[in-house]
Amino acid sequence: MEIQIATRADIRIAALRGDVNATTAAEIQRRMLPFATTGEKILLDFSQVTYMSSAGLRMLLSLYRQAAAKQGRLVIVGLSDNIRDTMSVTGLLNYFTTCENLDAGLAILGWSV
Amino acid sequence: MKPVILPATMAALYKVSEYVLTAAATAKLNKKATYCLRLAVDETATNIVSYGYALEEQGRLYLSSRCDEQQLAIILEDTAAPYNPLAALAAAERSLQLPFEQRPIGGLGVYIAWQSADEFHYELVGDRNRNTFVMYRDPTSE
Repeated sequence: MEIQIATRADIRIAALRGDVNATTAAEIQRRMLPFATTGEKILLDFSQVTYMSSAGLRMLLSLYRQAAAKQGRLVIVGLSDNIRDTMSVTGLLNYFTTCENLDAGLAILGWSV
Repeated sequence: MKPVILPATMAALYKVSEYVLTAAATAKLNKKATYCLRLAVDETATNIVSYGYALEEQGRLYLSSRCDEQQLAIILEDTAAPYNPLAALAAAERSLQLPFEQRPIGGLGVYIAWQSADEFHYELVGDRNRNTFVMYRDPTSE
């Protein structure tokens, strides 16, 4: 698992690559939670994530709750069909803001080119 | 495929996935079925390591597979305390009915495993928990 974090205006962009599972989700959470502060905008780029288990769902839930508690926003982009299916069967997909790609996600968070 | 015995550690879980992916490739499962089988076995193995053996590193995971014209079965066994993961399904399904904000953050794994495999069976055999995951083979993907 690789995590590359970049900042564009007031948006933190975390590009993930590889598997999000029981061994990697905790590391992602550890890296991302400090950004879930007041009013922060976070974009998670999943376009290079090939696999996600329930550990990843728990990580996303924690991050979402932390962001929501502090009036922040969380957007997930580039979900594969398989990961989307997992989020859907657990009823979680509709609670997250998801977009097809990075540009659409940035637009939702108020970034304009 | 030849059975393997793996240490029941978080660090060895990727080897469980490797075993499943190799068995799925040998059985020519399609991509979707392969992903679902890996997910079902990974979720269950993760729970066995985390809760069954409670991260005690002496535990072992026993993996084997069985393939015929109709289906591929992955058999995952452990010697932790007897535990039927399917007994937790009803509670997991109930928690899915709760509003998002009230949901417990755990308990999703067994539900995902149940949803992902075409069949998921549990039995206690001697001192071993045996979880069997079945995926049907698609004859058109040969």
